[in-house]
Amino acid sequence: MRVVLEQLINGLTIGSFYGLIALGYSMVYGVLKLINFAHGDFFALGSYIGYTLLVFASAFVTTRVGLWGGLVVTVAVAALCLAVVGVLVERVAYRPIYPAGRLPAVVSALGASIILQNLIMIIWGPRYQAYPAALIPNFKVQLGGLTLTALQILILGISLVLMVVLYFVIQRTTWGAAVRATALDRDTASLMGINFNRVIRFIFTLGPALGALTGVMVGMYYRQISFTMGWNYGLKAFTATILGGIGNIPGAMFGGLILGVLEMFGSAYISTPWKDVFVFLILIIVLILRPNGLFGEKIAEKV
Amino acid sequence: MTARFLPTLRRLALPLALLIFAGFPFFANDYLLDVAFFFGIYSLLGLSLNIVLGEVGLYDLGHAGFYAIGAYATAILNTRFGIPVLLLLPVSAIAAGVFAFLVTSPIIHLRGDYLCIVTIGMGEIVRLALINNPLGLTGGPNGVYGIDTPTLGFFAIDSSLAYYILVWVVVGASIIALRRLQRSRIGRAWNCIREDEVAAQATGINVRSHKLLAFVLGAALAGVAGNLYATKLLVVSPESFTFWESCLMFSIVLIGGMGSVPGVIIGAAAISLFPEVFRSFANYRMVIFGVAMILMMMFRPGGLWPRRRGGTEARDLLQRLWRRNA
Amino acid sequence: MKKLVLLASILLSAVALVASAADNGPVLIGLQGPITGAWAYEGQMAKQATEIAAALINQKGGILGGRQIQIVVEDDAGQPQTGALAATKLSGNKAVVAAVSSYGSSITEPASNIYEKKKMVSIAYGATAVRLTERGLKYFFRTCGRDDSQGKFFADFVPQKFGARRIAIMHDNTAFGKGLAENARDALKPMLDSGKVQIVYYDAITPGEKDFRVPLTKMRETQPELWYYTGYYAEAALLVTQAREIGITCTFVGGNAAINDEFVKIAGVAVAKGCYMTNEPLPADLPTPEAAEFLKAYKAKFGDIPSSPWPVYAADAVNIIAYSIDKTGSFDGTVLADFLRNKVNGVPGITGKIGFTDKGDREGVPMFLYVVDDQGNIVLSK
Repeated sequence: MRVVLEQLINGLTIGSFYGLIALGYSMVYGVLKLINFAHGDFFALGSYIGYTLLVFASAFVTTRVGLWGGLVVTVAVAALCLAVVGVLVERVAYRPIYPAGRLPAVVSALGASIILQNLIMIIWGPRYQAYPAALIPNFKVQLGGLTLTALQILILGISLVLMVVLYFVIQRTTWGAAVRATALDRDTASLMGINFNRVIRFIFTLGPALGALTGVMVGMYYRQISFTMGWNYGLKAFTATILGGIGNIPGAMFGGLILGVLEMFGSAYISTPWKDVFVFLILIIVLILRPNGLFGEKIAEKV
Repeated sequence: MTARFLPTLRRLALPLALLIFAGFPFFANDYLLDVAFFFGIYSLLGLSLNIVLGEVGLYDLGHAGFYAIGAYATAILNTRFGIPVLLLLPVSAIAAGVFAFLVTSPIIHLRGDYLCIVTIGMGEIVRLALINNPLGLTGGPNGVYGIDTPTLGFFAIDSSLAYYILVWVVVGASIIALRRLQRSRIGRAWNCIREDEVAAQATGINVRSHKLLAFVLGAALAGVAGNLYATKLLVVSPESFTFWESCLMFSIVLIGGMGSVPGVIIGAAAISLFPEVFRSFANYRMVIFGVAMILMMMFRPGGLWPRRRGGTEARDLLQRLWRRNA
Repeated sequence: MKKLVLLASILLSAVALVASAADNGPVLIGLQGPITGAWAYEGQMAKQATEIAAALINQKGGILGGRQIQIVVEDDAGQPQTGALAATKLSGNKAVVAAVSSYGSSITEPASNIYEKKKMVSIAYGATAVRLTERGLKYFFRTCGRDDSQGKFFADFVPQKFGARRIAIMHDNTAFGKGLAENARDALKPMLDSGKVQIVYYDAITPGEKDFRVPLTKMRETQPELWYYTGYYAEAALLVTQAREIGITCTFVGGNAAINDEFVKIAGVAVAKGCYMTNEPLPADLPTPEAAEFLKAYKAKFGDIPSSPWPVYAADAVNIIAYSIDKTGSFDGTVLADFLRNKVNGVPGITGKIGFTDKGDREGVPMFLYVVDDQGNIVLSK
């Protein structure tokens, strides 16, 4: 029983990473119908910026605000940088392509992803980098027979808080309503007075910033980062988005969590090398049974 | 200015291409012939995905899976049963086609993006299954090695030149077949489905069976490419059939021009030759590639050689050439 | 652009051809390796090592009465297809005498087929799959060892050393990792049959991922006393860190790709110390005078010695090719291959005495057990 709980926590931790990245992915996807391949690389870039700050500026920062303060500052700076990068990429690589349709945008996104990934490799080198162990909190906690590390608690906690906050932002605030409206029907939304460009700017700052935050968390949790890490996580995020249902932005978060738990289940109880096959098979079955995803709404097709 | 010369360019394209094909070996060494071989393989792959993506408009990002099935079918049947590889060319096509039929039947009704993720999943399932070596068939991560070189009667195809001719003959045959398909009822039905699925259904087109047909034919052609790839490298391993390959194929069709056969060839040239040409740029090679992709979509989103609407291009072309000479 | 490149390459080949035909021109030796891509790290070190080897030879007066050695590098990006193109390019270059190729067995295999067809000698420096020399190729050699000798070393030596009866073997489903795991398991067979040891866990993780807690928890429940991981250092570092976090305390032994400076850096000294590794001798532990000279020159130019054994094997490959050309006075692949196979015995090299078996394998590659000490250095154990 204890082992099952442990594995469940493992699965949920992985799942929360997927969910947070999927959230940013899903916002862009919902509004623009654009498969933003570069989103995974935003996440990777955030991780690397966090690494650079922790390695080079740590002494400077921690003497002023302490260890935890230093981490907060790192996350804030990384998120800020990525917000800027996100808007930049949108302006340069995506905006000129919108009139051409969906598929050219996919190729452009692929191109943006290649550029980002290789720029990371050129700037930081092809070798794996590691978050310095000394700066990361490292104590363990006993919880009814289970041993959890500080980081696990931190990450699950932060992810939970973030997801709740974002859920409220998307579902209850005006900005959220604007995003959802634009995702549902862009033209009518602009008729209602929603400024499309502002919505774009919003999702391309919030999404990449979230990705950066997740990137720093992943960096702290696993300590190892590589320039290729964006690709894998991006694919999982896309899967989570679809699983949750296109256009359902909070659904992507749940999609991510479910994906993490499914992966865990496949790995622990079926077979570790076949776990991804298992996950994709489940995805296909889900889509056959519920063609609009788990939480997706049936969107009527215009004739 | 380009617009004025475009019709002339288009008319001259076919004879020019034939000339280049015939003349190229005379001043190319083995390395260049090999590069041209892989260009041919990517052309076949692009053409095969073009059927699904370009003609019918189905988002398929798992096409590398069919490519892998063809390659492995050839590899396994040749190394285990000694069947000559050229004989396996139609076998690989059929294997890939049957596989496509079986796996896409249950999901063919899915809408655009959902289909996309399912095809990605299919591609990954194929690749992972190959790595995990079920039933000891696929050799796991080592792949299958010891494939024979093709023989045509007494001629052994084992020089770079012979491979070059082989692949481009197959490409040529495929182009002819695909052009005919394009102009047939099936081709027109496909294009109709791409433009407006509901209207297509309303005019009595069996949308489901046309979509399935597209997948099966696309897979079969990818299987052919897999066979040729296996006979060239003499060893197949799962690394050659990743999601990234599917993305490359996708880009070939988009960069060349959806539904456009000459476009796909040009797209294949761009994708396969680009990294070789820019070898000297080392690390920056891929950055330049990415930039090129974005610029391409910015300035020619319809593709480098978009499909012309209406008109029967080749027939026009030949008729005009004939009239000139008459 | 394409035409320009074509013209340039024709001109360059012509120049090289003329240059080497001339009596005093340089002798070209090709290097195929992963300069970019997933193994860029190894490929770039191999390039540096071969350049140092060539420089040392040239300093001593070159070969064939004063001709200099020059290295021609072709990138194979760690991909079989790119490798095939690189091999075609090198073997098609008439001025290149022999090739040092490559790192990674699945890339080396198709490449070696191409060199074989062109009757060009190719010597692998980082390809340890057993099957590479089981194909009856006449022009293929390797200066590195094979997986079966490493697996055998593990089986013969390690469980006894730690008195372990319950063994867990984990690999990463790559050609190398799986191959080594299978070799180790096969070599353990006599001990398995007699009941001396038990393999309680034998499974693969997926490389490229970060989170291995789930399979590690699975492994932990089988209560192993010894854990052998045959994959690469990136995953190894993560595996050990996470294993210690979830309470796996048994000894960790890595294969020769699992532990290096990067491993120590990523896992941190606290976790890495006490980890063992089966390995060919690391550059720092090579006892030969040639090694001392080579490492000194390498360090002088690049700031530190190579952190893995493979670049040094590449350097030795260059050395033995140069030696063969010098002794036979020939550029002909068949003559060189015959010489390497039959006449090269106990020729002093950086990694020890160089000799090749009939199949083209390196004779007598020693294996050692290494351990990470308290300062994070990798030193010989025992």
